[in-house]
Amino acid sequence: MSETFYARNEEEVSDFIFDHYNNNNPVELIGSGSKKIGRLIQSSKNLSLKTMSGILEYFPEELYIKVLPGTSLDEIESTLKEKNQFFGFEPNNLGFLYQGKSDPGTIGGVVSCNLSGPGRFKNGALRDHVLGFKAVNGSGAKIKSGGTVVKNVTGYDLSKIISGSFGTLCALTEINLKVSPLPDFEETFLIKNLNYHEALKVFQKSLESSLEISGACYFSKQSVSFLTLNDVNKDTSVLGLRIQGPKTSVAERIQSLSKMFKEMLVSVLDTYQTAIFWREIKNFEGFAGSEDFICKVSLPITNMPIFLKHFENLKFQYFLDWGGNVAWCKIENKQDLNQMRMFCLKHDGYLTVMRSNDNFRKSEEFLTNSNLNLKILSKKLKESFDPKGILNPNKMYSGI
Amino acid sequence: MPLTLPTADLDIIDNKKQIVKDLATITKNIIHSDEEIKPYETDGLSVYRQKPIAVVLPETTEQVSKILKYCYEHKIKVVPRGAGTGLSGGSIPLADCILMGMGKFNKILETDFDNRCVVTQPCVANLAITQAVQHNGFYYAPDPSSQLACSIGGNVAENSGGVHSLKYGTTTNNLMGVEMVLMDGTVLKLGGKHLDSEGYDMLGLVTGSEGLLGVVTEVTVRILKKPESVRAVLIGFNTIEDSGNCVADIIAKGIVPAGMEIMDKPLIIATDNYAKAGYPRNVEALLIVELDGTSSEVDTLIDRVLDIAKINQASYNRASNSDEERLKFWKGRKAAFTACGVLAPDYICMDGSIPRNKLANVLSYINKLSEKYKLNVANCFHAGDGNLHPLIMFDSNDPVEMKKAEDFGADILKYCVKVGGVLSGEHGIGVEKRELMCEMFNDNDIKQQLKIKNAFDDKNLLNPGKVFPILHRCAEGGRMHVHKSEDKFPHLPRF
Repeated sequence: MSETFYARNEEEVSDFIFDHYNNNNPVELIGSGSKKIGRLIQSSKNLSLKTMSGILEYFPEELYIKVLPGTSLDEIESTLKEKNQFFGFEPNNLGFLYQGKSDPGTIGGVVSCNLSGPGRFKNGALRDHVLGFKAVNGSGAKIKSGGTVVKNVTGYDLSKIISGSFGTLCALTEINLKVSPLPDFEETFLIKNLNYHEALKVFQKSLESSLEISGACYFSKQSVSFLTLNDVNKDTSVLGLRIQGPKTSVAERIQSLSKMFKEMLVSVLDTYQTAIFWREIKNFEGFAGSEDFICKVSLPITNMPIFLKHFENLKFQYFLDWGGNVAWCKIENKQDLNQMRMFCLKHDGYLTVMRSNDNFRKSEEFLTNSNLNLKILSKKLKESFDPKGILNPNKMYSGI
Repeated sequence: MPLTLPTADLDIIDNKKQIVKDLATITKNIIHSDEEIKPYETDGLSVYRQKPIAVVLPETTEQVSKILKYCYEHKIKVVPRGAGTGLSGGSIPLADCILMGMGKFNKILETDFDNRCVVTQPCVANLAITQAVQHNGFYYAPDPSSQLACSIGGNVAENSGGVHSLKYGTTTNNLMGVEMVLMDGTVLKLGGKHLDSEGYDMLGLVTGSEGLLGVVTEVTVRILKKPESVRAVLIGFNTIEDSGNCVADIIAKGIVPAGMEIMDKPLIIATDNYAKAGYPRNVEALLIVELDGTSSEVDTLIDRVLDIAKINQASYNRASNSDEERLKFWKGRKAAFTACGVLAPDYICMDGSIPRNKLANVLSYINKLSEKYKLNVANCFHAGDGNLHPLIMFDSNDPVEMKKAEDFGADILKYCVKVGGVLSGEHGIGVEKRELMCEMFNDNDIKQQLKIKNAFDDKNLLNPGKVFPILHRCAEGGRMHVHKSEDKFPHLPRF
């Protein structure tokens, strides 16, 4: 077991990292430890930011919140809800993937993994919502970037680079995030009994319209059992389109969809059911308890049917989200995973292993590692923050 | 006006003949006579001028790579340039540099409606992207005021926004991928037609990096379907405070308009005189709110906005009932910069971002400064996203007044930072605000950014002297300077 130091403030984070920098000792940065994602790393010391918790500033009318990294996502989301606001990137609760139950973890962990839910294709990814931050880099220096305003071209946009950097560049000590007003009302338009070709055509047609669809997913007949909602028939495939906004506008747009797809088997989920439906998707609740590989396959929409056709004889389950830009896949064996990864590389996309066993995490890459030049630049970038490579070494890539 | 740039390497300048000869083996498009170089000696910040050794106009990524590799090996500085409309001097050449003009990269490569994106070369104008897809009802959302002329590659460099960035984001939120060349000639593809990339978000880092990290040779942007309905409403107030409170209330009530703009009285009068927009002339502040979506949604939201305005003591309101009327509302606002040219021989335009709730506070501070410096000022404000553009009037024939205008501008930006804002919302730092960076960042912050620069460009050859302070003092500034309304790009609306 590694020894864990619980930092209480920025000063302690800085002192701890500075000591380890001087002694060339690697450090594993952790929040609440809820996410078992990335490569397994060897370190004798853990630095936990869980104890740096709390909301520092929240100005709903300014559309931002400033928080400490160890603040639980639950606490932040409840606070936002009280003011009818939310995070537009709809962060996933990965607890279901790793513990089989809800465990949303800390905001620092969410930012470090760049986690974005069903609204990503409309509202942007997490990285689009980080306005600024404070952190301690790998030599113990306190740094900051960005601010609390949305329009900002003052120096490099480091908020982007720390989002999804898995704690390999710096230890976050303060994060400013953009928040958005909650939609007044929402409903989900369901279409049943489509194959994936038809589903992707529905995505195409509906997303090319002016209907401002904010969620677009598809469960094949084989994977529809992932959904628990009673109102969803488990015998056929299901495609869902989420419509949000003022009540009259939602009704009008649902009407438009009904006309657009009048030949199909359609139904509507009400607001209450809609919330459950998209929560289950956002949190991968259907994957809870699985020992298989859970992977994100990201491709241009037009390459998704080619992918599904290519692997239709393989034993794997999937659902499509983000209007067909992503397939969340449950894959039984490594050979199949590698084949899919190679396919993605050739088709302008990638495959990320979101969940795997410890053996895989020790020896294999969880990211699709395609381009040597990009890897060289990534290594240099890592060194610019962490010259001795002591922060979460090898977590993202072996050797970085 | 003197501008300090990194010390020129005289050996490089002396070696011009050989350098030109060598580069001519890579591209036939090389300009090196004094006369032909002249158009390239400045950009939208035309107060500063400097001729480079030579200008190269490559036509392919391979040529860009070879030129950069050659310059890297011979330690020659390179300044990249798109359309040259930037307002912070980001593509002003150095005396010992090669200016790399990207003007030949002017083709849209692919309009891909199935993947809802456009793949384009970097020197295509922002507006040309919308024009290429509008026949199918699509558009490219970021709309900087110079969109008629500014290049999409330049937009990537400056992370350009526009009137609609509150709802639709700036360039970084609408960019899917780039092909870029590093200073040592390495060609990289970042992102593409898929969403998000694995690994470090290099695409996000490169966006807004002001041409310091690489030269972009191809850009992939996402396109959106045009909203079904767009309407705007004009709201007048007797105090700036009321207009600021109204903006805060609109946001607090959960409405995210497509655009929200405020003008103060001097600007209302000046723009109305100039553009005959039909603005109320007896109000202290005018707010324009634009809403888009489905027809019923827009109508509902207009009613809500008007209710909120009433609560905030609005003394005037008018909602557009046709697209012509809506465009008329914008006509004055879009002519703001030109209209100010009538008020004084010269003006400089500042560009700071502040928290929305500090608007009244900052405007009252600006008015105090106006009294202190005895210079007039007019203010326009992208109220939705807190981006402030004070226009400071002066006469450049009077050196004392000119110095006062510069100090006035610097004081405004320092105050923006003091109230929790930033130095630049959309024009970039360039050479203009370089020395003010220490108002926002300390040594550690700047050092971290310089180390990142070093990871991309270890000899510091790509666009040096920009963004980071080199004078180590905090009072030099230039801003966008306009003499006798002679904007370098008079045909472009500035807002």
